[in-house]
Amino acid sequence: MKRKTVLMGGAGSAALAFLGSGCSGDGETGGPATLTFWHGYTEADGDVLQGIVDDFNASQSDITVNTEVKTWASIDDTLLTALSAGEGPDIVAMPAERLPVYADKGALVELTSFYADDSSNTANLIPGAVAMIEVEGTRYGVPTGFVPLAVYYNTALFEAGGVTEFPATWDEWVAAAKQLTVDEDGDGTPEQYGVVLPDHATVANGLWPSLFYGNGGDIVSEGIDAVIDSPENAATLEYWRAAIVDDKISPTGIDGVGADELFGAGKAAMTIGGPWMASIAAENGIECAIAAIPAGPATQAASAIGVSMAVTVDADDNARAAAEQFFAFFLNDENAAAWSLGSGWPPLRTDVPAEAVNSNAVVASLTEIADLGRPLLPGVVNSVDVLAAVDELTQRAIAGDDIADLLAQAQETIQNAL
Amino acid sequence: MRTRLRGLKPSTVLTTIAFVVVTALVLLPIAIIVLTAFKPAAEVNAYPPSLLPGDWTLDNLKTVTSELPFARLVGNSFVFAGGVTLFALVFDSLAAYALARLDFRGRKLLLIVIIATLMIPFQATLIPLYQLVADLGWVNTYTGLIAPRAADAFGIFFLRQFFLALPRDIDQAARIDGAGEFRIFRSIVLPNAVPALLTLGLFTFVNNWNDLLWPLVFTTDAEMGTITSGLTQLTGPSGIVPHGVMMAGSLIAILPLVIAFLFIQRRFIENIATTGLK
Amino acid sequence: MTTAPPTGRRYRPPAPLGGRRRADSPAHRTAKAAAFLAPALIVLGAFTIWPMLSALRLSFTDASGFGDPEFIGLENYIGVFTDPDILNAVTNTALYTVLFTPVAVVAALGLALLLNNPRLPFRGFFRTALFVPFVVSFSVAAFAWSYLVDPQVGLLNYWLRGLGIQIGNVLEDPHLAMPMVVLVAVWKLFGFYFVIFLAGLQDIPTSVYEAARMDGAGAWSRLRNVTLPMLSNTMAFVLIFAMIAALQAFDQIYVMTGGGPYGSTQTLVMEIYESGFRKLDIGFASALSYVLLAATLLLSLAQFVFFGRKEKDLA
Repeated sequence: MKRKTVLMGGAGSAALAFLGSGCSGDGETGGPATLTFWHGYTEADGDVLQGIVDDFNASQSDITVNTEVKTWASIDDTLLTALSAGEGPDIVAMPAERLPVYADKGALVELTSFYADDSSNTANLIPGAVAMIEVEGTRYGVPTGFVPLAVYYNTALFEAGGVTEFPATWDEWVAAAKQLTVDEDGDGTPEQYGVVLPDHATVANGLWPSLFYGNGGDIVSEGIDAVIDSPENAATLEYWRAAIVDDKISPTGIDGVGADELFGAGKAAMTIGGPWMASIAAENGIECAIAAIPAGPATQAASAIGVSMAVTVDADDNARAAAEQFFAFFLNDENAAAWSLGSGWPPLRTDVPAEAVNSNAVVASLTEIADLGRPLLPGVVNSVDVLAAVDELTQRAIAGDDIADLLAQAQETIQNAL
Repeated sequence: MRTRLRGLKPSTVLTTIAFVVVTALVLLPIAIIVLTAFKPAAEVNAYPPSLLPGDWTLDNLKTVTSELPFARLVGNSFVFAGGVTLFALVFDSLAAYALARLDFRGRKLLLIVIIATLMIPFQATLIPLYQLVADLGWVNTYTGLIAPRAADAFGIFFLRQFFLALPRDIDQAARIDGAGEFRIFRSIVLPNAVPALLTLGLFTFVNNWNDLLWPLVFTTDAEMGTITSGLTQLTGPSGIVPHGVMMAGSLIAILPLVIAFLFIQRRFIENIATTGLK
Repeated sequence: MTTAPPTGRRYRPPAPLGGRRRADSPAHRTAKAAAFLAPALIVLGAFTIWPMLSALRLSFTDASGFGDPEFIGLENYIGVFTDPDILNAVTNTALYTVLFTPVAVVAALGLALLLNNPRLPFRGFFRTALFVPFVVSFSVAAFAWSYLVDPQVGLLNYWLRGLGIQIGNVLEDPHLAMPMVVLVAVWKLFGFYFVIFLAGLQDIPTSVYEAARMDGAGAWSRLRNVTLPMLSNTMAFVLIFAMIAALQAFDQIYVMTGGGPYGSTQTLVMEIYESGFRKLDIGFASALSYVLLAATLLLSLAQFVFFGRKEKDLA
């Protein structure tokens, strides 16, 4: 923000031929700084974040953080152009799987010394959350959110369907879903589905990774090797295809947003989602409860939704130091609990006592299952192509294509992307 | 009505009926925008769906006006689209005049270069363009928003075609009287081109009012956005777009254009033909 | 644009602009033209052509938007021609263009011809109504259409089901998604072409029709031998711009399908956007843009040549 390039009448200037030269720090540190902070927390969480920012601004006299609230999508649309011209924010928050590409391309500042500093309050961060800000061993940001995907279920529909206990395994899960699927007019298209399992663009892209983990499979190993073409994943796809297509426990051809809407409309008894499902349910007058995704044959695990914030190259040295000060403040004991309660996400630090967040029922239930969360594609720079390949795989698999072929194809595409 | 139709050939009646059907289908999405804007949330996602709201409500419009600084955004849209239109009409017509009615070397090549600028997707030049505007110090200013659109290849080409068709003898007399080129342009060619200018003005205004990418990327300050780019702010955190609210926002976005169009449409479509030239 | 007589579009040797009196030197004439051209050329030069040249330069680098780009020769161009995703996008873009251009142009022309009939009742209303979609932005149009064809709550889907037509989940169907996004573009843009055709039609002098009628030409023959030939300028103009619009299809696809299902609506500009703004590979996006520019230029020249020849045949 502070980089004022003087290139007036620069249409002919060769300096413009190449993209902005990145940061040109002033070299001084510790002086007054005004930081711009872009984030996409537009709901109640945004108010809580603003409160923390205001407290920070009031806590000292040198640094002022100004927030600019956008949608997550528009941050992604505008960040590149703004940063390339030195007009970007100093701090930016983004979905965690978007961070590696920005870090890899040189848009973000590494925070190694910040993490090494005891006063940064980073020592007890959830390891999975930290994995999502690491690229090739270097840390580039701090997490602002990390929560495993969970099952949000409509308690009224459970009661009406006579399901009294939440399923613990896949088989029980499918059985419960069948019991909750209602096709009153018998036309083969249920009016109410037991569960809604989107086959592409799933919530935070995490549904199918979660199912793969459950059977002991994975997508990428160590950030460099594609491992999607495995017998475990083949079995997972077969299993869920049978449940979705043959048993009709879920509609097909739906995406994550559609799934949220269907659940919000009371037409599905269960959905896989993030903490906001609780407020969607409340808005629609649906009584809902939260449970962990049932255990697969191999293990119980869930892909996590992550949000991270980072310092950009548009911040000069002074602004960097100021941003780190803000991060440490954001992660301190008091704010770690306050942010969790206010955002409805579990605490980012493992040493926040459970009592501190018990007052929010959603946070309490999510904190209980927080251990199940696995970072999605940590350190993978080209997550765009990898996730597109997973989407195509699951969508085609549900549509009935040959699973072995699809996996081989996905394996190749993903390996190329890596 | 009946008496009017009696004098018509059966084929005309059939054509009329066909037009009624086609027009109804064409207007259906517009109707759905307008009507859904007044539907309560429960009806928006109800099955079976209905065209008309059961309960008319202003809730969606209220939500939009509380979530977006919509008066400011609509104002910005007027400044942006209006500013672009004014400048583009002046600059495009000047250039088109030279390309159509003056003879100079490299005219053909210049025309090809101008048309070629339309053939690169805007997404490709967006970043260098933004950097230039940033280096000029115009980020988040109206100048920066408007300047890059102050002339455009489509307008130049459109007007050139029109000017080419104007008979050459109309300026002959003026030339013999010793009128300068600019006077011929201003007092002879332009008055004859009013319908074309009106048409181009409408196209330019509509296209810029509706443009998403440029104002979205250019205005990092929410206060500087247009109504079209502002609508993206209505998307919820999980990507859910509340339909009723979005339709209400869309209604606000298209209403000024529809009103403006209905206002000038008679003049616009009747006059688009070069009446003075037959 | 609309009244150019059949021979007017092509460049003719300089007409004697100022009568015999003119003593302009070529340099003087060029200076005069430059004065008229200057404002537009400064704007276009600075804000379009300069960024285009920057993009050309970037297409030979590994630019990401940050730091100093490194020159990598033709690597991006080689990537463009070897990437299977790009091949898919080329195929989709071609399909889109082949679907969109004729449908939009024929629909616009057909409606314009019918509405040019002065005896049609309410034609003023129809003209106005058919143009209205053009004032709706692509993003709003895409949103409204997605809602209309939604498999659960879509009104159009519901009505069609009532008629016994199952269209299912159009936007998730790899065979129907493309026709659907094309339909939205036709809906949004045909009014624009329609108005241009209407203008062209009104410029055909009625005396020409009367002469044809006297010669005993029927409606069909009048259309074929009078109307269409006299519209050929307008037609060339509309076709070129419709084709450019098709080759750059992006907005409604971005909103409605995001390029899916299975990449079946992934167009070249979607690919450019994704490479640039999602993968931050500006170099590759720039190279792809230039390949698209070259293809568009070639196709446009082919059209110019085609219409130029037709004109000659007519003359």
